[in-house]
Amino acid sequence: MIAFEHVGKRYGGRFEALADVNFRLSRGEMVFLTGHSGAGKSSVLKLLTCLERPSRGRIVVAGHDLGQLGSVRIPFYRRQIGVVFQNHQLLFDRTVFDNVALPLLIQGMPASDVARRVRAALDKVGLLHRERALPIELSGGEQQRIGIARAVVHKPALLLADEPTGNLDPQLSADIMRLFEDFNRIGTTVLIASHDLALIARLRHRVLRLKDGRLIADENGS
Amino acid sequence: MSERMSSRRGANQQAPSFLQQRRAWQAHHRQVARDSLIRLRQRPLGTLMTLFAIAVALVLPATLWLLLGGAQVLDRNLEDTAQLTVYLSPSLEEASAREVADKVRQRADVGRVELITAAEGLHQFQASLDLGDALQGLDHNPLPASLVVQPVTRTPEAVAALAMQLRQVNGVDEASADMQWLERLKQLTRLGQRIVLAFGALFALGVLLIVGNTIRLAVENRRDEIEVVTLIGATHAFVRRPFLYSGAWLGLGGGMLALVLLAVGMGWLSSPLSALASSYGTDWELPGLGFEGSLLLLVCSTVLGWLGAWIAVGRHLARMRPR
Ligand SMILES: Nc1ncnc2c1ncn2[C@@H]1O[C@H](COP(=O)(O)OP(=O)(O)O)[C@@H](O)[C@H]1O
Ligand SMILES: [Mg+2]
Repeated sequence: MIAFEHVGKRYGGRFEALADVNFRLSRGEMVFLTGHSGAGKSSVLKLLTCLERPSRGRIVVAGHDLGQLGSVRIPFYRRQIGVVFQNHQLLFDRTVFDNVALPLLIQGMPASDVARRVRAALDKVGLLHRERALPIELSGGEQQRIGIARAVVHKPALLLADEPTGNLDPQLSADIMRLFEDFNRIGTTVLIASHDLALIARLRHRVLRLKDGRLIADENGS
Repeated sequence: MSERMSSRRGANQQAPSFLQQRRAWQAHHRQVARDSLIRLRQRPLGTLMTLFAIAVALVLPATLWLLLGGAQVLDRNLEDTAQLTVYLSPSLEEASAREVADKVRQRADVGRVELITAAEGLHQFQASLDLGDALQGLDHNPLPASLVVQPVTRTPEAVAALAMQLRQVNGVDEASADMQWLERLKQLTRLGQRIVLAFGALFALGVLLIVGNTIRLAVENRRDEIEVVTLIGATHAFVRRPFLYSGAWLGLGGGMLALVLLAVGMGWLSSPLSALASSYGTDWELPGLGFEGSLLLLVCSTVLGWLGAWIAVGRHLARMRPR
């Protein structure tokens, strides 16, 4: 599903955020990407979402060579993946329903299908009863779940998350991780960047460890 | 690594048909058009200021254009009144004067010819100057007989050429066609056209900048939203759409306001202007923009608004391109 081959990323021509990163993810895997703050976790995810282009090496996702992807095709590539952001980035001027519907609206899905899909996604994250609410009325944990619903509403085969439990307490963090495991169980490939080592250790999935932009460990969970 | 990213939950993943997609696309356009109008109404003061700025930028060139149109109508009127005054030799008797008049009347390039005898001339002179009997004391009439000649071709050049030929006719002292000022008016009109064009281009640029700046601020305000929708697969067209509608609405609104200002302004100017015209003996009215002119103004302002928005959003999108 994902292949990084000798990937390097420099910001502003000088600073090397990633250097010679190599790894592969198979379809259906669930993998954690970890490392200290500034290690390059977010950079990996930005490369995978085409927010940044690699300075070196090759990134292939589901047959797309991201270095070669033209700017016209980038949006259509992004529609095939789901992204959960660090700070959930919901649009605060519209309802939970409209937030979750956004990817479908962008893809031009008929309104009748949109409602069905949005409700299914909200149901999966346990927030169907809040569809009319505004994001501001929800707790941090609930907002993050709405963010996840939005990331999966169009049924992507690949789900990326950057510090999805960033500001949540351990109990809520565990709930969120369980949600990702649910999606992984039905076949979605999941890559989560997180520095919550205790939580990651408990979950026993494969872990990619970054240090100063280099991949220093690739541990298989038991 | 060439596997496709098709979903394993394929059955309900069926792609929407072309027709369904088009219907969804149209619905989205309608919604975005409505939303952008609502957004403009949500900050009425800023919107109103922008609309007025656009309207003012449109009113000036439109006014110039109207005045120019008026001037063209005016000089066509004046061309119709083109005539020559031919002064005969003072020594000519009235009978000889009639002969000269007949001779001129036979020319192909001459229409109506009216003879004003020396006596009639004096009478008219007295009447026009309100001199009463002041000239009664003169022992002989100092005025010559004259002909008022209507040329067939009324362009200044033709009239001038005719005057030259009439001067050669026996018994004619002088033929004058005071066409110079008409010629000058024509040149002024031509100058006016260029000025209107230059101002039009300048103020069109103004509208572009006004809308561009307003939309740039709107883009700044919604940059988080733009970032989010871009990251979940929005095309540039999708990101642009609400702003293009805002720009087009602003342009259209500004155009309509400009029409109102023009109507008010023209109403205010029309009575003194037609009074001025009638004092010069012409029956002239300031022409309005008319239906077609108004439509043209609205179309232009809408397109300018749209274009201004396009440029403003385009600059933002270019900055978001991955490096
Ligand atoms: N847009 C950027 N411009 C310059 N430097 C950046 C940019 N994004 C990240 N960096 C730098 O790259 C390094 C890796 O950052 P990041 O990938 O965000 O790490 P992490 O997510 O693991 O904390 C950091 O030192 C960070 O300062
Ligand atoms: Mg980070």
